[in-house]
Amino acid sequence: MRKVLFLAAVAVMAACGGHVTAPEENDGLRVVATTTIVGDLVRTIGGPEVQLEVLMGPGIDPHLYKASAGDVRRMSSAEAIFFNGLHLEGKMTEVMERMGERGVTTVAVGECLAAEEFITSTAFSGLHDPHVWFDVGLWAQATRCVADTLAELVPAHADAFRNRAQAYHDELMAFDGWVHGRVGYLEPEQRVLVTAHDAFSYFGRAYGFEVYGLLGVSTASEAGTSDVKELAHFIFERRVPAIFVETSVPPRYVQALKEAVEAQGFAVEIGGTLYSDSLGDRGTSAGTYAGTVRANVETIVTALSEGR
Amino acid sequence: MDLFGDYTLRLVALGSAVLGATSGALGAFAYLRRQSLLGDAVSHAALPGIAIAFLLTGSKAPLVLMVGAGLAGWIGTLVVRVVVGRSRVPYDSALGIVLSVFFGVGLVLLTFIQKQPNAAQAGLDSFLFGQAASLLRQDVVTMAVLAAAALVILALLWKEFKLLSFDPDFASSLGLPVQRLDGLLTLLLVMAIVIGLQTVGVVLMSAMIVAPAAAARQWSRRLLPMVFLAALIGVFSGVAGSLMSSIVPRLPTGPTIVLVLSVVVVGSLMLAPQRGLVWRFLRLGRLLRAPDLDPVLMHLYALSLQHAGDPEHGHNIAVLRTMSPSGADVGAALEGLADRGLAQQTGDGLWAPTPIGRREAERVLEREAES
Amino acid sequence: MKGAGGEWALEVEDLTVAYADQPVLWDVDLQVPAGVKMAIIGPNGAGKSTLVKAAMGLVRPVAGEVRIFGRPRESARGQIAYVPQRATLSWDFPTDVLDVVTMGTYGRLGWFHRSGAVQRQQAGAALEQVGMTAFLRRPIAELSGGQQQRVLLARALVQDAPINILDEPFQGVDAPTERAIIDVLDGLAEEGKTIIVVHHDLQTVPEYFDSVLLLNVRAIDSGPVSEVFTEDNLRLTFGGRVGVLETREIEV
Repeated sequence: MRKVLFLAAVAVMAACGGHVTAPEENDGLRVVATTTIVGDLVRTIGGPEVQLEVLMGPGIDPHLYKASAGDVRRMSSAEAIFFNGLHLEGKMTEVMERMGERGVTTVAVGECLAAEEFITSTAFSGLHDPHVWFDVGLWAQATRCVADTLAELVPAHADAFRNRAQAYHDELMAFDGWVHGRVGYLEPEQRVLVTAHDAFSYFGRAYGFEVYGLLGVSTASEAGTSDVKELAHFIFERRVPAIFVETSVPPRYVQALKEAVEAQGFAVEIGGTLYSDSLGDRGTSAGTYAGTVRANVETIVTALSEGR
Repeated sequence: MDLFGDYTLRLVALGSAVLGATSGALGAFAYLRRQSLLGDAVSHAALPGIAIAFLLTGSKAPLVLMVGAGLAGWIGTLVVRVVVGRSRVPYDSALGIVLSVFFGVGLVLLTFIQKQPNAAQAGLDSFLFGQAASLLRQDVVTMAVLAAAALVILALLWKEFKLLSFDPDFASSLGLPVQRLDGLLTLLLVMAIVIGLQTVGVVLMSAMIVAPAAAARQWSRRLLPMVFLAALIGVFSGVAGSLMSSIVPRLPTGPTIVLVLSVVVVGSLMLAPQRGLVWRFLRLGRLLRAPDLDPVLMHLYALSLQHAGDPEHGHNIAVLRTMSPSGADVGAALEGLADRGLAQQTGDGLWAPTPIGRREAERVLEREAES
Repeated sequence: MKGAGGEWALEVEDLTVAYADQPVLWDVDLQVPAGVKMAIIGPNGAGKSTLVKAAMGLVRPVAGEVRIFGRPRESARGQIAYVPQRATLSWDFPTDVLDVVTMGTYGRLGWFHRSGAVQRQQAGAALEQVGMTAFLRRPIAELSGGQQQRVLLARALVQDAPINILDEPFQGVDAPTERAIIDVLDGLAEEGKTIIVVHHDLQTVPEYFDSVLLLNVRAIDSGPVSEVFTEDNLRLTFGGRVGVLETREIEV
C-alpha cells in the first residue's frame, strides 16, 4: 500500500516536472548554482560560454533546502559551484565543504562583497544576515567575483566574461537609481516593511525602510507567541496599512499576524506577495533578478501608499 | 495583568488546551492498555501521510494535511497489527519498525517535495516540531470540533472502553465486539494525535499522550478521576506553555508545553501520596523504626504456633535469646512487650504472647504478605 | 442430564486449534450435560485454557464447531459467564471492587446506558454471596489473591448465566477462599447451572466435581468422575507423570 502511494507520488512529481532546470545544452563550462538569484547572476555573466544548472527552483526556501543525492552528483561533476553563502543555504554547509575538498571550485557570491557592508544578525551573533541581494547597488559588486572566477577557469573567454560583468554592473547601478526614485513616492514614515522573515534588511538599509520579519533571519526558527504579539502591537500602533506574504514561506504566519492585528481593532491588509529568497518563475516578467526586484518594489509601494 | 487579553495568546492557549485535554484523556486509555508507545509510533507514522496528502492534492489546507496524517497513522496501526499477528515479531519491535520506516519514508518524501515549486508555501517542515504561533482561528475551530467528537464518543462508550482496557477477554465473553471497539479506541487516539500535530509537531506529540496519563495515575485510584486529571494536566501544560512562550521572546511554544508537562510528571512521580517516591521513602523509614516490627514478639509468636492447642504454653527465655542476634537485650524487650500487653510471663523465665500480642503479630504478617 | 430441549449445555465437535503450526487442540469432541460440575484436567500445555476460550469464541479454531444449548456459538450470547485466570489481568487498574463486579452487568445493560442503582444492587448481592461485602470500595490493587478470585467470581455470578466457565480458580488461593468458592459453585449446580472448571489439583477432583474431561491436546476421555477418573486414564493423559495417585485410593 505504501509502495503504491510512493510510486504514485513520484509519478505525479515527474508529471509536474518541477525540479532542477535542465542544463542548457552547449559545450560550455559546467557550472552549478544553488538559488535562482545566484543562478540569474551567473547566467547573465557567463552567457553562452557556460552550461548552468540551478538546484533550487522558484519558490523554494534555501534556509531549509537539503541537497539530494542527485544534487550532490551534479555538484561533484561540475567545474564550479556558485552559492550565496553567509549560511543562507543553511543545510548545505557540509556538502559545500566536501565539494571544496574534492577540488571543485566553490564560490560564495555573498561573501565576496566588501566586509563592512554586512549587517550582523541579531539572533545569530557572529553571523551576518545573508539576504544581501535586495540592495541592488551592493549586489552589483558581486558581478566582479563571478567574472573573476569564470575568467580564471576559462581564460579564453576572460574578456567576454569581464565585459558582460561590467555592462551588467552599470545596468544594475542605473536600476538602483530607479528603485530609489520609485520608493521616493512614499513618505519616510510610510516606509515600514513587515514580512514573514527578515529577508529585507539590506533593502531597508539601502532604500530607507524600517524592516520587521516575524521569523527572524532564518525560516528554520520558530516564531513564539510573544513575537507575534509584539509585532501585531507595533503594526497597530503605527497603523501600518499592509503586511506582506513571501513566495518561499508559508503564508499562514502572516495570516496569523493579520488576525492578531485585526483583533486589536485595526484592519491591516495583506499587501501582496513578495519574492524573498527566490526569483519568480522563469519565463514570467519576474523570472530575472531585475524583474523580481521591480515586482517587489511595485508591490511594496502600491500597498504602503494606500494609507495616504 | 491582562495576560489573556492578547488575541494570539488566547488563540494559542485555546488550541493547546484543546490538544491537552484530548491527548490527556485518550492517552490515559493508551497508558492503561500499555499502548503508550503506540502514540509515539502513530505520531511519527503521520509524517508520510502529510507529505503524500500534499503531493496528491497540492493543497496546503491544514484539514487536508491532517486527514493525510490521520490516515497514515491509522494505517501504521494496522501494519503493526498485521506484523504481530502474522509473524513472531513482538509488539514493541513491530512498533519500532513502523515508527522508523514510516518516519524515514516521510523524510525522504519531504526532500522530494522541497524541489516542487512553491512547496515551501505548504510549510510541511513545520509539522516536525509544530508552529503554534501560526495557528489561525480556522485551525483552532477544526481542532475543537475534532476534539469534541472524540470526547463525546469516549463518553458514550465509557463503560465499554473501560471493560475493554481492563479485561478484553471478559468483554468478548459478554458478546462485545472487542476487535471493533479496539479499532475505534485506536482511531480516537489517532484523532487526538492529529489534533496536536500543528502545535507540538510529530516528534514531541508522543509526550502529550504518555505524560499526562503517567502523572495522573500517581494521584488517582479510579478511572474517571484519572482520565479527568490527565485531561486537566494536559490543559494546564498547554496553557502554561503558551503563556510562558508569550512572555519570553523566541521561546518556541511546542517544546515549552512539553517541558511544563515533564515538570508535572516528575513532580507527580516524586510527591504523590501512596505511590510517590518521596512518600515511599518516608514510609520505609517509618517502618524501619516501627516498634511493632518487634522481632522478639515475632519470635514468640512463631514459637507459640507450634503449640496451637495450648496458647498459655510458656517458652524459655533462653530459646528466645538464641533466636535473636547476640547482644540483643531480650529480657528488656520482653518487659517492654509486657508493658504494652503483648506478652506475659507464665512462669520463671517462661514467656508467652497474649491474645492481643498474637493478633498484632498476625496483622504484621498479613501486611507483609500484601505488600 | 440434557437441557430442557434435550440438547447438551455445551457441545464441541472436531475442535482443532493451532498456534503457529503447532496443534494446541486436536480433534476434540466433548458433550457437557446441563447441571454438571465438570473439571478439565491435563498437564501444562494440554490446551485446557484454549479449549474454554475457543468455546467462548476468544480463540479462532482451525476446524470444528461449538454449540451452546444446540445453537451455534455466535448466536448464543449471554449464555456463558467467564472467570478468567487471575494472572492475566492487570490488577493495577484504577478501579474498585464494586466497579469490577458491576462490569458483569454490561452485557445486559446495552450500549449507551449507564449503570445505575439496579446494577449496583445486583453487584452488591453477588459480593455478599462470595463474602466480600466489606470490600465494596476497596481499590483492586489492594486485594490479596483470594480476594481477587472472589471478586472475579462475583462478577460472573452477577450475570446469572446458565453456563459458568472458570479458568484455574483455585490457583494460589488460601483454604478458606477455596472452600467459599466451592460452596458457591455447589449452590449454582443445585440451581441447575452448568459449571466447567479448568483445574490443576488432581487430589480434589473427586471431591469437588461430578464430571471430568481428561485433555492432552486430544480428548483422552470425558464423563462422570466415577467412570473416567481412573489410573489408566490419568496415565494416558499425563504420560506416566501421575505419581501422586498411586499411593491413594480413589473413592467412588
